[in-house]
Amino acid sequence: MNAPPGVYQGAANVIAALMLLLEFGMLRQALVRDQVRLYAAQSALISVLAVVIAADRNLPELYALAALSAALKVGAVPYVLRRLLGPPAVEEARGVAGSHTLNPASAVLACIVMAAFGFFSFGSLHIQSAEAPAFALSVAGAMVFVAFVLMIIRRDVASQAIGFFSLENAISLASLVLAAELPLLLETAFLFDLLLAVVVFAMLIRAHHARAESLSTADLSRLRG
Amino acid sequence: MSAAVPIPVIQLLQVLTVALGSPGLMGVIGWVESRLQGRRGPRVLQPYYDLAKLCRKEALAPSGASWFFLAAPFVAVAAYLTVPLLIPVLTTYGLPLGYMGDILGGGFLLSLASFVVATAALDTGSPYAQLGSSRAKTFSAITEPVVLFVVFTVALLTGTDLPYALAATVRSSAGQVIRPAHLLASAALFMVILHETGRIPVETHTGTNEFGMIEEARSFEHSGPYFALLTWGSMLKQFILFTILADVFLAPWGLASTQRLGDVLLAIVALLAKATAIGVAVAVIDNSFAKLRLFKITEYASAAFLLAVLGVFTLYLGGG
Repeated sequence: MNAPPGVYQGAANVIAALMLLLEFGMLRQALVRDQVRLYAAQSALISVLAVVIAADRNLPELYALAALSAALKVGAVPYVLRRLLGPPAVEEARGVAGSHTLNPASAVLACIVMAAFGFFSFGSLHIQSAEAPAFALSVAGAMVFVAFVLMIIRRDVASQAIGFFSLENAISLASLVLAAELPLLLETAFLFDLLLAVVVFAMLIRAHHARAESLSTADLSRLRG
Repeated sequence: MSAAVPIPVIQLLQVLTVALGSPGLMGVIGWVESRLQGRRGPRVLQPYYDLAKLCRKEALAPSGASWFFLAAPFVAVAAYLTVPLLIPVLTTYGLPLGYMGDILGGGFLLSLASFVVATAALDTGSPYAQLGSSRAKTFSAITEPVVLFVVFTVALLTGTDLPYALAATVRSSAGQVIRPAHLLASAALFMVILHETGRIPVETHTGTNEFGMIEEARSFEHSGPYFALLTWGSMLKQFILFTILADVFLAPWGLASTQRLGDVLLAIVALLAKATAIGVAVAVIDNSFAKLRLFKITEYASAAFLLAVLGVFTLYLGGG
C-alpha cells in the first residue's frame, strides 16, 4: 500500500500531471489555433506551479519568475502565433489543419509508450530535491518525449513550432523541480532563449509560407544544393 | 431515531434503494436536460409511469426466437440487482454478502448482463438489434482495458481490490483525495461511465436514429414487460455506475457508519443527492457536446486509456 504524498506534493504532482495531459491534448488537436490555446493553458499551469512552490518553500523570486513567465508564455507568445496564423479560414487554406500523419488514437497510444519510457528512465535516475517532488521530474521527462513525437507526426511548420515551445515548458518544469533556487537572472535568461526561438520560428514560418504558399512541410521532400 | 437496523435489512435496503431510485434518477436527468434546452420537460416520475405502462402491454417475440430471448431480460436484471450487494451503497462497513466478490466480481456481473442482452439481440435475427450488439461488444472491448487499469490503480492504492477498502482509503485524508493517481483513475472511470450509459459524446441517449445507436439498438425486438425489464436494467446499470463513482471514488462521505436507523436513512438521502449531482453533470455534458462519429469513439477510448495508464504510472513512481 502506498502512502499519500501530502497535500503540497499532491497539488504539485496534479499540476505536473495536468501539464502532461495538455501536451497529449496538443498532440491530438487538429487545429493549430486550439493547440495555441492549449499551449497557453500549459504555460499558465507552470506559472501556477511556480507560485505553489514559492508559497510553500518561501522563495519570493519565484513569484517574479511566475509573473514574467505568464506574461511571456500565456500572453505574448500565443498572441504572436495567432497573428502569424491569421483568421481560422486562412488556416484551412494554408494546409495546416489536420496535418496528422498518424490517426489521433494511434498517436496517443504511441505517445503513451514514449511517455512510459520518459517516465521510467527519468524515474530511475533517483534525483531528489527539497523543492519539488521527484515525480514532477519524471513527468517533465515524459513531456519532452511527447513533444518530440508531436513535432515528428505533424506536417506543418506551425504545429512543429508549438511542439518546440512546449518542449521548453517541459524543461522549465524540470528546472523548477531540480533548481527552484536558481538565481532569477539565469531563469530570465532561459525565458529569453524562448523569445529567440519564437523569433526564429516566426521567420521560418514566414519564409516557408512565402516560398511554398502553404505551411505544410509535406512538399519538402527533396534536398537541393 | 436510534433504533438499530438489522444487518440483513440494511443489505436489502441497498438493493431497494438502487432498484427504486434508478427510474427517478433517469427522470431527473431527463428533466434537467429538457430545462437546459428551454423545454418544460417530462415529469420526474415519468420513467415509473413508462415502466408501469410497458408492463401492462402485450409481449411479442419474433418467430424463431428461442427461450433465451425471453430469459435474457430476467438474467440481466438479476445480475444488476446483485451488484449493489457487493459495493458500498449505504454503509462504510462491509456487509456480510459484500465480500462475495471484489471489484472484478462486480465487473463480471455487469458484463454478464450486457452479454445476455447482446446474445438475445442476436437471437432475434433483426439487423438493427444485431448491429447494436455487435457495436456494443466491439466498443466494450476497447474500454475494458481502461476499467482494468482503474482496478490496478485501486489495487495499488489500497493493496486490495475491494470497493469498501478504496472508499475507506479516500475518506482517510485530504492527501488521498488530491493524489494524481486517484484523480486520474476517477476521471478515466467517469469517461467509461459516459460510454457505458450511452451518453454524449458516445451515443445519443434519446435519439431514434438507428445509425448512431450502440446500446439502445439492442432492445429493438423486445416488447411489453420484457422491454420494461430491459429499460429498467439500463436504468439500474446507470444508478450502479454512478454509485460506484460517488461512493467509492469521488465522494464516499455521508455513508452510514453505524446501524442506527437515522444514519441509514441519511445515507439513502445522501446517495440519491450524490447520484443526482452526477446526473446533472452528465446532463450538462449531454447538452454541451456533439456526438462523436462512430469511428472517432476509439479516440475517446484512447483518451480514457491515457488517463488510467498515467494513474498507474504515477503510483509506480511514488508520486501518485
